[in-house]
Amino acid sequence: MGPRNARRLAAGFAVLALGLTACAEDAGGDSTAEDQSGPIKIGAVLDITGAGATLGVPERKTLEMLAKQVTAAGGIGGRAVELVIEDNQSTEDGAAKAVNKLVSQDKVDLIIGASRTGPSLAMRPIAESAKIPMISLAANAKIVDGSQWVFKTAQNDKVVLEDIVDQAVAKGWKSIALIRDSSGFGEGIGEMLTELGAPQGIKVVRTEKFAPDATDFTAQMVNIRNAKADANLIWGIPPAAGLAQKAYKQLGVTGAVIQSHGIGNQAFLDSAGPSADGLTAPLGRLLVADQLTADDPQKKVIEKFVADYKAAYPGESPSTFAGHAYDAFQLAVTALGQVGTDGQKLRDQLEGVKGFAGVSGVFTMSATDHSGLDKHALAIVTVENGAWKLLDANR
Amino acid sequence: MSDLLQLIFSGLSIGAVYALIAVGFVAIFTVSEVINLAQGEFAALAGLVAISAVGSGMPLPVALVVAIATVTVVAVVMERVTVAPVKRLTTLTSIILTLGVSTVLKALMLLIWGPEGKGLTPFPGGDLLVFGVSIRAQELWILGIAAVVAAAVWWFYERTIVGKALRACSEQPIAARLVGISPKLATMLAFGIAGLVGAIAGVIASPVYFSSWDSGLSLGLKGFVAATLGGLVSIRGALLGGVLLGVLESLVAGYVDTGLRDAVAFVLLIVVLVVRPAGVFGRHAEARV
Repeated sequence: MGPRNARRLAAGFAVLALGLTACAEDAGGDSTAEDQSGPIKIGAVLDITGAGATLGVPERKTLEMLAKQVTAAGGIGGRAVELVIEDNQSTEDGAAKAVNKLVSQDKVDLIIGASRTGPSLAMRPIAESAKIPMISLAANAKIVDGSQWVFKTAQNDKVVLEDIVDQAVAKGWKSIALIRDSSGFGEGIGEMLTELGAPQGIKVVRTEKFAPDATDFTAQMVNIRNAKADANLIWGIPPAAGLAQKAYKQLGVTGAVIQSHGIGNQAFLDSAGPSADGLTAPLGRLLVADQLTADDPQKKVIEKFVADYKAAYPGESPSTFAGHAYDAFQLAVTALGQVGTDGQKLRDQLEGVKGFAGVSGVFTMSATDHSGLDKHALAIVTVENGAWKLLDANR
Repeated sequence: MSDLLQLIFSGLSIGAVYALIAVGFVAIFTVSEVINLAQGEFAALAGLVAISAVGSGMPLPVALVVAIATVTVVAVVMERVTVAPVKRLTTLTSIILTLGVSTVLKALMLLIWGPEGKGLTPFPGGDLLVFGVSIRAQELWILGIAAVVAAAVWWFYERTIVGKALRACSEQPIAARLVGISPKLATMLAFGIAGLVGAIAGVIASPVYFSSWDSGLSLGLKGFVAATLGGLVSIRGALLGGVLLGVLESLVAGYVDTGLRDAVAFVLLIVVLVVRPAGVFGRHAEARV
C-alpha cells in the first residue's frame, strides 16, 4: 500500500468524522407578526435525541398532552395555544440554533427548555438578549444565576447536594468519592460538594468523570474502589447512571452509594436492574406519590398528572423529567392567563410566583431566586426490589 | 495488580467488539476497495433487531439468529442496490455512497426504535471473581464468540475455495478474473461477510454496551481505526488492532484520564497514517499495490 491508499484512508476518516457533526435541519415553521390577539406561541427546545433522550422524550410527551388539554379547554383567555417543539440533539450548538429559530422565525412568546444543563446554558444569552421569558427544565444553578429572563423548574443541584450532605451527617459518612457526568450537568459538583461538606467535616476524596453517553465504567469504578470512601456519589442521568450503578456493584466497590436527582425515571431502574437496590437518592416526590401522606401539598397535583399521563400514553408512567416539563408549562400558562403575552409583564409575573404547588415541589420565586425550590422539594428515596421506596418525606 | 488485570480484561472485551467490526471493513475493502461507512450501523441494527425480537417473546438464541440473518440480508441488499449498479467505483465514491446508506439506516432506526438506548437481555451465566478481577458472564461470551468467529473467518479465507477466491480478487484482481472468479459475486459475498460479523459484534455487545440508533457511529469509527492498524487489508491485523485499541483505551481511561478514552483511537490513527500507512502489522501489503 502506497501513499495513495494512505490518502484514501485519511479521506475515509475525515468523512467518518464529519458524520459526528452531521445533523438534520428542521423544516422552518411559518412566522406570524407579534400581536395580542392571534394564537399564543410557546416554543420548546428539548433533548429529544442523543444523550438526553430519556429526559427529552417524556418532556415532549408531557408538553404535547398539556397543550391538547389547554386547547380542549378553549385556550388561554380565548386565544389558541400553539406549541412549537424543537430537538437540540442533546448538543449546545443545536440548542442555540433551535432557540434562534424560535425567536426570529416563529416569534414565540415564551420558551421552555432545554432538558439538560449544557444546552440550557447555551440558550440563556439568546433568551436574555431577545427579552423573552425562558423556563429551563435542567438542574445546574448557573442557568438562572443572576438571570433576568430565565427561570427553571428542576431542583437546583445545590439543593440536592444539601440533602446529600444532610444524609451524610445523619449516617456519619466523612469521606465521599464522586463519579460524575462530564457535561454541564456534572460541572462544578465536586467543588460545590466540597464547599457544602466542609463545615460538617465531609471531604471529597476522589473525583472521576464519564461522558453522558458512556457505557463502560470499569476504569472509573476501579479508581473509586481504591479511594475507599465512606460513601460514593454517582452524579449522572440514565442510562449512564444506571450502568455506573451496575459497575459499582459488579466491581465490588465498598461504601454506600448515593445517586443524584438525575435518575428519576424507569430507564434508570431498567438499566441498573437489581444493582439499584439499597441506593439513596434525593428525588422528586412524583416517583413515590402513592407513598405520600394525604396532607402533602403536592399529592393532588402529582396524582392528577400521573393519571392524565397514563391516560394519554397507555402503558407508560411519567418520569420526574416529565414533571419538570409539567411545572414549566403550568407556570407559563398560569402567567400567560394572568397578564397575556407582553414579555415584560410575563417575566414579572413569573418572578412573583408564590406557593405554586407543582410536580417537582412548591415554587416560590423571587428576584434573586429564579428556581423557586429549596431542599424540601426533594424526598429521600431508595430502591427496593426494583421499585422506588420513600425513606424520608423531608418536609 | 488486580486493577491492571481488571482494566486489561475490560479492554479485551470491548476490543473484541472493535475487532469484529474491523474484520467487516477489511472483508469489503480487500475485495472491492470500498470503505463501508455503514459498518457500525450493521452492529447497531443487529442489537436493536435482537432487542425487539426478544421483546416479542422469542427465545434469546432464536432472536440472535433472526437479528444476524436480518442484518446480513440488509448488507447484501445494500451492496446490490447502492454499490453494484455503479460502473466506475472509486474509493471516494464508495465513501460517499456508504455514508448515504449509513445516514438512511440511522434515520430508519431512529424512526423505528426511538432515540433511547437499550440493552439486550444478557446471555446466561453468572458473574465471576478471579484473582480479584470481576468478570461479567457477558464479557466471557463476547470473548468466546469473537474468538470463534475470528477462527472461522481465518479458516474461511485460508482453507476454503470460496475464501481463496476472495483473497485472489484482492491480491490479483485481473488474474482472478482470468481464472473465472466474478468480481461482482465476490463483492456481494464480501458485503455478506461484513454484515454477518458486524451483526455478531452488535448482538454480543448490546447487553453490556447498549444499542441505540446512533451507537454505530462510535463503533464504526473505532472499528475503522482498528482496521487501519492492519493497513485495511489484513484480517489478522484488524483483529489484533481491535484488541489493542480496546486495551489501550481502557488503560488510558484508568491511569491517565477517563476523558481521554475516545482520543486514544484518533491519536493512534494519526500516528499510524503518518508513520506506517501500510499498517502496523501489515506484511501482505506489498502484494497489493
